[in-house]
Amino acid sequence: MSSISIPNRRNAAARPPPVPSSGVSFVLPALLLILAVFILPVVMLLLRSVTEPDPGLQNYRELFESATVARVFVNTFVVSGLVTAIALLIGFPIAWLLVILPKRWADLLFGIVILSMWTNLLARTYAWMVLLQRTGIINKTLMGLGLIDTPLPLVNNLVGVTIGMTYIMLPFIVLPLVTTMRAIEPDLLRAAALCGAGRWEAFRRVLLPLSLPGIAAGGLLTFVMSLGYFVTPSLLGGAGNMMAAELIAQLVQSLLNWGLGGATAFALLVLTLALYAVQLRLLQRGRSQRGG
Amino acid sequence: MRALQSIGVIGAILGALTLSGTPAHAKDMVFTSWGGTTQDAQKQSWAVPFSKQSGVTVLQDGPTDYGKLKAMVESGKPAWTVVDVENDFAVKAGKDGLLEPLDFSIIDKSTLDPRFVTPYSVGSFYYSFVLGFNKDQFGKKTPKSWADLFDLKTFPGKRTLYKWSAPGVLELALLADGVAPNALYPLDLDRAFKKLDTIKSSIVWWSGGAQSQQLLVSGEAPIGMFWNGRIDAIRKSGVDVGVSWEQNLAAADALVVPKGVADKDTAMRFIAFASSAQAQADFARASGYAPINLGSKALMKPEEAAALPDSHSQGQITLDMAYWAEHRDAVAKRWYEWQGK
Repeated sequence: MSSISIPNRRNAAARPPPVPSSGVSFVLPALLLILAVFILPVVMLLLRSVTEPDPGLQNYRELFESATVARVFVNTFVVSGLVTAIALLIGFPIAWLLVILPKRWADLLFGIVILSMWTNLLARTYAWMVLLQRTGIINKTLMGLGLIDTPLPLVNNLVGVTIGMTYIMLPFIVLPLVTTMRAIEPDLLRAAALCGAGRWEAFRRVLLPLSLPGIAAGGLLTFVMSLGYFVTPSLLGGAGNMMAAELIAQLVQSLLNWGLGGATAFALLVLTLALYAVQLRLLQRGRSQRGG
Repeated sequence: MRALQSIGVIGAILGALTLSGTPAHAKDMVFTSWGGTTQDAQKQSWAVPFSKQSGVTVLQDGPTDYGKLKAMVESGKPAWTVVDVENDFAVKAGKDGLLEPLDFSIIDKSTLDPRFVTPYSVGSFYYSFVLGFNKDQFGKKTPKSWADLFDLKTFPGKRTLYKWSAPGVLELALLADGVAPNALYPLDLDRAFKKLDTIKSSIVWWSGGAQSQQLLVSGEAPIGMFWNGRIDAIRKSGVDVGVSWEQNLAAADALVVPKGVADKDTAMRFIAFASSAQAQADFARASGYAPINLGSKALMKPEEAAALPDSHSQGQITLDMAYWAEHRDAVAKRWYEWQGK
């Protein structure tokens, strides 16, 4: 399990060994591949936003004037925020369990968390559809138990999207949190207890603040990934909550309006990069605080 | 030096990547359609016998993706030889210069339903949007008309409609609102969207045929608009779903050739074969969609022909492709603005 987990925080904080110059050529093929098959096409699509159908910024004017685009972006941020918050609430205890459980049980739990990442995304999303639909297992069980009379609307709406995406994002919250929590000295919690702190007090004043870097890293990772999510929202979402990636897909695939599609993609990219910059700042601050 | 070598390796990989989409031999072609039961039927009825007759290997790809098609044409080397697209897209793409004009010295136009022939496309098959419903959900009440689709009181629950901006949804909204079939075009978009607003919170979109079947059979959406062939396929599988052909909306898929394909001649010969009376009859038998060759019906048994849209021509409304070709972009813009609202 340690072979998979992210490097320990203390190691990461230490100065990395100097890179031997010959190492560059090892990275070069990967860099070139990324440049050729990823960065270049993205740049070309973005260029279309200022060249199609005519050169100029009319696509961006349309983008900013469109109430639809605004609504779709707001919806994207709301869903991403919701998913991040719920994934944190569920992921935090899981991460803590992974840290404190005996190795055998921790490995098992870790396997369960990781296993979900190894299953095909589409299969997992369809699985949720089977579980959540009107005649699905959850509704049938609840109705069988007499708890509800009519099926709960669990899918094709915001509820479905949130459940599906939270589940998919969980590992991305848990992994950074585990790394952070591993580095917390168990003695600190013992010391808190000795000083008379109850469980809640110890959690609030010791464990939570010390876990903050992991919360920030995992939270932002999840949020940023959620912003661009396509498969799950389009399959589990309803008519009223289109997300940005779906809008872009519709513009590019169905309407062939690559200019506006490129502009929308660029707007999403800028917002994502801005959040990434925030993440870097947060991480740096966390590091320098520890150093000082 | 090592860096140079790695660039060479990358070059080789990229070369392989770009080539992998195109047929390896001159005698290969790629036919692209929408997957599922429909493409299976196309493969069995068109591709397999065509290969036998001509020696050309027909590779299958899918689903059709208009964005991909455009990107391929722009790259100059489309990997798809013949593509099954919706008719309104065929007309628009022909106008936008994305398609090869068809060679009607190879394809016999005189035997084809003239409603579905353009300089850039011939019909692939024609289908109807019909009202389908799950019989378990509404007790003794039976929905019949498009107006019933909008009647949330009598027929409660989600309704499933076609997700993309395409001929069909707006027309049925107007028909449900009382517009006479001969007064449909030009579409009154404001009125159509206003009508759709009345059921908007109950709409579940389907973006592909298999999804529409799943929604209907599971009861997730007990009523909706469907491609008639998909209802046919559900019934053949033994599940008894209801269907109403009242004011069924006929439209066609079209076969097109992306601009710049290497072997135009093979593309034309494939289309000539696929649109022939026998191939169209075989496909209709397998899929429940109607043939676009006027000679196909004579080759089918009466009971086979009974399941097809053209035996429901009473009250059938042909969606106006000329209108759609003209207004596709403008309608599409309104469509996604309304969807995102």
